[in-house]
Order: sequence, then C-alpha cells, then structure tokens
Amino acid sequence: MKQSFLIRNPHILVFMGLLAVFTIAVTLMSAYAGSDVISTSFVKTLGKTLCLCLIAIAMDLVWGYCGILSLGHFAFFGIGGYMVGMWLMYERTKEIVATSMAAEALPPTPEEVREGIGTQIFGVVGGAEIPWVWYFADFLSIQLALVVLVPGLLALIFGWLAFRSRVTGVYLSILTQAMTLALSLYLFQNDSGLRGNNGLSGLQNIPGLTDVGQDTISIWFFWASAVALALGYLMAVFFTQGKFGSVIRGIRDDEARVRFLGYNVEGYKLVVFTGTAVIAGIAGALYYPQAGIINPAEIAPIASIYLAVWVAIGGRGRIYGAVIGAAFVSLLSSWFTGGGAPDISLGVYTIQWTDWWLVLLGFSFVAVTLFAPKGIGGLFDLINPAHKGEKS
Amino acid sequence: MSTLLEVSGVSVSFDGFKAINNLSFQIGDAEMRAIIGPNGAGKTTFMDIVTGKTKPDEGRVIWGERNISLLGLSESRIAQEGVGRKFQRPTVFEAQSVRENLSMALKNKRGPFDVLMYRRNAEARARLEDIAEQVGLSDQLERMSGELSHGQKQWLEIGMLLAQEPRLLLVDEPAAGMTPEEREHTTDILVEAAKTRAVVVVEHDMEFVRRLNCKVTVLHEGSVLAEGSIDHVTSNQEVIDVYLGR
Repeated sequence: MKQSFLIRNPHILVFMGLLAVFTIAVTLMSAYAGSDVISTSFVKTLGKTLCLCLIAIAMDLVWGYCGILSLGHFAFFGIGGYMVGMWLMYERTKEIVATSMAAEALPPTPEEVREGIGTQIFGVVGGAEIPWVWYFADFLSIQLALVVLVPGLLALIFGWLAFRSRVTGVYLSILTQAMTLALSLYLFQNDSGLRGNNGLSGLQNIPGLTDVGQDTISIWFFWASAVALALGYLMAVFFTQGKFGSVIRGIRDDEARVRFLGYNVEGYKLVVFTGTAVIAGIAGALYYPQAGIINPAEIAPIASIYLAVWVAIGGRGRIYGAVIGAAFVSLLSSWFTGGGAPDISLGVYTIQWTDWWLVLLGFSFVAVTLFAPKGIGGLFDLINPAHKGEKS
Repeated sequence: MSTLLEVSGVSVSFDGFKAINNLSFQIGDAEMRAIIGPNGAGKTTFMDIVTGKTKPDEGRVIWGERNISLLGLSESRIAQEGVGRKFQRPTVFEAQSVRENLSMALKNKRGPFDVLMYRRNAEARARLEDIAEQVGLSDQLERMSGELSHGQKQWLEIGMLLAQEPRLLLVDEPAAGMTPEEREHTTDILVEAAKTRAVVVVEHDMEFVRRLNCKVTVLHEGSVLAEGSIDHVTSNQEVIDVYLGR
C-alpha cells in the first residue's frame, strides 16, 4: 500500500529529494558548518520561507482543493506565533530577572520574580500585572499544545457558524477578512494582554540555550521547518488522495451535487478549514522564533491576501504548486523590497523597486489569473502531458 | 405493497407564485411512476421538496416504514435515507475520472473520517465495475468525465444513482439529448431498477413515457390533474386541454 502510494505520486519523491538536497546544501554553506557562503540572517530567511511554504500548502488545501477562498489564514499563523512567543519571552525574561536578583542579599521569592517579569514585559504598555492569557506561559508543553488548540478552536467556531448558515463564495472571503482584521485590531490594543502594537520580541533567543549561538539556533529552526514542511506535504497528499480528495474537489466544483450524494458538505468544510488552521498555527510557531518579533501588523488582512496570491501564482489544486508559489514570490519579494533589484532609470523618472514591487506583483497576479490559471505549477504539465487529476 | 413515500397537502410559493398547490402523491416500494406536465407545472419543485432543497410552506412528506418526516432533514441526510436524484442537466464532476465519480457515489459511510480512512477493496471494486457495465461505461473508467459525450454523462449520472443504492430514484428528464438507441438503453436500466425500488421519472417526451409502461401522474399548476395508466390520462379531456392538445 505504501509503495503504491508513492508510485501513484512520483512528485512526493521528487519533492522530498529536492527538499533534502536543499536542506543539506544550506547547512553546509552556513556559518554552522564553518562556511560563510550563506549568512545567518539569510538562513533565517530561508527557514522562514519554508514556513511560508507550509502555510501555502494549508491555503491550497482549503482553497485550491475545497474551494473555500479563506482570506484569514494568516490569523491562525499569527496565533501560532503568539502562543510560542509567549513562552519564549516569559522564560527569557525570567532568566534575566533571576540573574539580576541573584545579587541581592535575600534570595527572591517566586512572587518577586513574577512581579519582576511583569514589570519587564508589560512596563512598555503601562502595566506590571501578568495578564490571564499568560497563565500557562511558564509551561512549554502547554504553550505548544495551544499552538494547535487555539487556531483549531477559533477555526472550528468560526467555520461552524459560517458553514452552517451556508455562507459561501465572496461572502465567506469577506467574513474571513473581517475575522483577521478584528483579531489584529484587538491585539493592537494595549490592554489585550499581548503588549499591543509592540508585540512580542526577542523571540530568537531560546531560553536555557544562551550559550548556543544564533548560527546554530538558526540552523536548528531551519531543519525543524524543513521537517514540518515535509510532513505537511505528505499529509496534504494523503488528504487529497483517494475518496476524501474526491469529495472535497467535488465540493469545490459542485457543492449541491455532493450534498445529494449524501455527504454532509458542511462537515467536510469544517474539517478542512479547521485542519488547515492547525497547519497554519504550526507554521507560525516555527516562523516567528526565526523572525524574532511578532506584532499585530503581521495578521493584518493584507497578509492573508498575499497568501492567496502566492497560491494562485504557484498553481492551486496541486500541492507542489503552492510550495513553488510561496517560495518564489516571497523570496522575490524580499529581493525587490530589500533593495536587491537595481533601480531602472527612465530619464525623467526612476523606477524604485521598493515602491514598484507591489505593482509588479499585482500585474503578475492578474496576468496569471487571465493567461495561466494553472500557475507556475502548470508548467509541469508541459513536461508530463499524461498528467491528469488535480485539475483546477 | 407498502407506501414508501407519501406527500400530502404540500404547498409552496415563491414571491406569491404558487409553484405547488396542495399536492398529494404516493409511491410504493417497487414501483415505476412517470410524472408529466407542462412547463411550470411544479415537477422540479416537487423533486426539490422531496430531496430537501426547498422547504414547503405547509404539508407533510412522510418516508419509509418508520414514517419519518423528511421535512426536518438536510439534503445529505435525506440522500442517506435512500433518496437519489438525477438532475435535468447531467451534473457529474467533470474534473474527475469516471471511476472517481462512481466511487464517490458507492453506498458507504459518508462521514469525513470514515471517508478519510476509506481504502478501496475488492468488493467495492467489483460493485463499481458491475455498475459501469450496466451503464455501458466499462471501458471509460479512467477517463475524465468532462471528456464524455452528453449521453455518456447522462449514463454516468444514472450509474452514480444506482451506486448510491437508493430506495427511491427521482429522475429528471433522463432521455433529454439522447439518441434513440441511448433512450432504449435508458428505458431498460430504469425498468430494471424499478423492480427493486421506487422510480419516479419526470419527462416531457410522451413516447418515452409510453415505453416505460407505468402509472402516470399529470401535474398542472402545482397539483395533480389526473393519475392512471398512460391511456387513461391521455384520454382525459382536461389533460388534453392543458397539455396534450397544445
């Protein structure tokens, strides 16, 4: 069974092979292996890109396969980041507070330590109390569980309400935008308990590992991201294969017909929506320790729209398409906006890519939608004309 | 023969227009029934009500031995109870192969987790191939259903209905757009199916209905105008006036 699964999906082997080669190559060229070809910050960029590929897979499942154009999946990504960020920041601050108090004559009581942590973390929003949402911040295992549970629960409730009322199409997209906007606005408030617009910072420092350099930590997270992406890819193929895949593609193409076959369409949508929210949460939890900082701007509505653009450009309805789109567009984006692309002088006007990149991206999106609806992934059909299934 | 479906006193109106007006209808366990009537007589709305797509303003729809009401159930629950529907235009999943289409329809547990863990087995494969044989698509199983001819799509849909193993088959204009040979084949399939289950055929084509050789219900303006053998209803003066005599 396992063997036939791989034979039916040759792209799994190709993908895993490429990912392994890429991971090894980056490792060998990094400061971790004593080389200086790739800087530590670029290792982090690549690791973050792998996380973006993972959430793109989630987006492809929910949109490309099940036909739910969610424009809110970055909310789940951000929540995942916040959940792991709380532990990172709390523990790190605890270490700092403990060190500074160690010099005092009397050993500090736990209350004093908590107070010190509260002042350190929440002084910036004018408080010293540790809010209730930080209740479990001292426990890594619980915060890691929350990475999965909070996005899952939010998606479950939101999806249940929306799908039960048969909200579909553009109306559902608008609702998901409203959800991520509302969450972002809420987190912007200082009394939300998550430090308002300051967000959580210093996440690149891993508590208890202060002796380990960023060269090493960045590679660890890079590996973790690669493993998560590989598992996510396998899981996505498993979900979209066989009868479950048939049913969700059927829902995408003709929801009413699936209903008359006796399938509970709302239940399926809820499973896919919630499952992909969990994947997004995990991707976020791996992303933000590499980014070092998370703030509410990360889950602004535009982020989720970019996600849809990546998947559309990469080619929806095929898992590798989503990965290609996310990697290609996000890396290109950091090249253009990071000043990598040379400005073009037109005499009277100079095109500066930091400003014009978005315009270029917008045009590419329109062009892909009109002229190549299968996206970049569609190019593989040219190599392999026998390709069938997975049509969008 | 016991009653499988009993519709009584059902009315439904859309924006003041009474699409169904105090309609009553009964069908037994293994029976073939044709419903005819001019455009706007309420044939499709009738099917919508039975399958749960439209909720009537008043009336009852009672199903099966346990006399459960279909009105409170969702479309998917009604389908699971054993009501299968074929639409006027063939609606198959064009981006999927004939095999995938049939496999989705095969009677099995319908929950998301059952389906996720579902593994194809020899028994299901044999059943699927048997159905493909019946509808003449045995050598088309791996083709994308979007590539099939119109008639083949009609059959694929009929095959999907049979795969669902419904107790009641609602078929909307099965012969539309078919060649004479294809019609004959369709008639055979339906007659065969009616031996073991209830089949309701909505059809415009009188020749086709005559060949089904079954009881006919004539709808007009949302209620039953006449019921009986084809010869009985075609000799009914009212029926001639509103429908046949046009």
